[in-house]
Amino acid sequence: MSVRYAILGLLAQKPRHGYELRAAFEAVVGGDANWDVKPAQIYTTLERLEEAGLVERSSDLGEGDEPARRIYAVTDSGCEALRKWFANGVTPEHQRDEFFLKLMLGLASGEADPARLIQTQRAHLYQELHAATAMRDGYDPRKEMAQILLLDKAIMHLEADLRWLDITETRLEEVKGQPLPEPEIRRRGRPAKGDKSSTHPPPDAVIRDQ
Amino acid sequence: MSLIQTENLTKIYGSGETAVTALDHVTLKVGTGEFVAVMGPSGCGKSTLLHLLGGLDRPSEGEVIIDGTPLATMKDNDLTKLRRKRIGFVFQFYNLIPVLTAVENAALPVTLDGIKPGEAKKRAAEWLERFSMGDRLSHRPDQLSGGQQQRVAIARALVAEPALVLADEPTGNLDTRSGDEIAGLLRDVTKKYKRTVVMVTHDPRIAAYADRIVFLKDGKVVDETNLERKGAAEKIASKIKEIGD
Repeated sequence: MSVRYAILGLLAQKPRHGYELRAAFEAVVGGDANWDVKPAQIYTTLERLEEAGLVERSSDLGEGDEPARRIYAVTDSGCEALRKWFANGVTPEHQRDEFFLKLMLGLASGEADPARLIQTQRAHLYQELHAATAMRDGYDPRKEMAQILLLDKAIMHLEADLRWLDITETRLEEVKGQPLPEPEIRRRGRPAKGDKSSTHPPPDAVIRDQ
Repeated sequence: MSLIQTENLTKIYGSGETAVTALDHVTLKVGTGEFVAVMGPSGCGKSTLLHLLGGLDRPSEGEVIIDGTPLATMKDNDLTKLRRKRIGFVFQFYNLIPVLTAVENAALPVTLDGIKPGEAKKRAAEWLERFSMGDRLSHRPDQLSGGQQQRVAIARALVAEPALVLADEPTGNLDTRSGDEIAGLLRDVTKKYKRTVVMVTHDPRIAAYADRIVFLKDGKVVDETNLERKGAAEKIASKIKEIGD
């Protein structure tokens, strides 16, 4: 979703061709290590935006030996879509977390020592924090403030993750004594013959299922 | 080579039933030019460790060897001399003398050591200039920001050209940005000026500037992490610059 609006935004800045769009996207997100977008995704998105009438295409015949390229520009409705995007807030995804999964499944399966998981993760986050800090300090605030701001964001989130690890470590004994959150099992279809619990699922659940 | 070596370093306060073990058999080595952060919850023994390393306190058990010299064998006089010449201290609240200027504060340790005031000030001014404080030499502490006062305190810690700097929560009283600057400066002290720094902090952001983090809990070392400055970060940075060009 964001890539689509990034394309609209970059085209609102000036008309560009596909290759240039990808390079501009990479530059603004701080490199493909941060956010890798494949050329195919750029072209598919451009096609969809064109079908929806949000961008329009023209041809550039190219100078000298250069091949002809398609140049894209944003349309009025594209600008309108972009304005709507700017008008709304963005929800960050903090609850979708691989380390949390690792910790919970380590606890539940008994296949990993949760205290060790926390130590490993802590070492990893400190390494990331060290690298991000080194990188941030390598930028010149007089002309590379965008890169600094993005790294500051990463640094602050890493700090928060480290604090969360500390808190989690102190509460490990409490969570160990509790079962992993289990799904509420809702049966589908007709209850099996002789099933004593045939009053389940409750009628309203059945209605919702249908 | 290790500049600091501790063997089963233990500190017990009080005795009998009220005895508190502040440090429990800590064995640690710190190399010359290394930047080590010591982290842990309050009461974990961080400050006790720093005091023992600096010879400000004597261990109950175990030993501290600084630059090949076991502190336990030293007489109080020699210990004082070692502290003054080989070790610099940096504190959370800077501990500057309010009526003295920046350069006078920074020159204090060598002035007390009998160096002529002119020469002492010259050495202090050199360190202050390295820390971008060249235009603040005649300011008094109350005319300086917290970050600037801490720069003066770090210059003071280095003026006697010690091999080791011990810093106790050096960014604890600073805002994030000044804290980053001070942590970066302490890193420079190790990398550019080849001194060894051991810093106690509770702030992950500040600890991340170090080469190694030692985690203490209940007086024991519970974990250690080496932070490597690989070529990777620099490579990514230069790649981003390429893309930007």
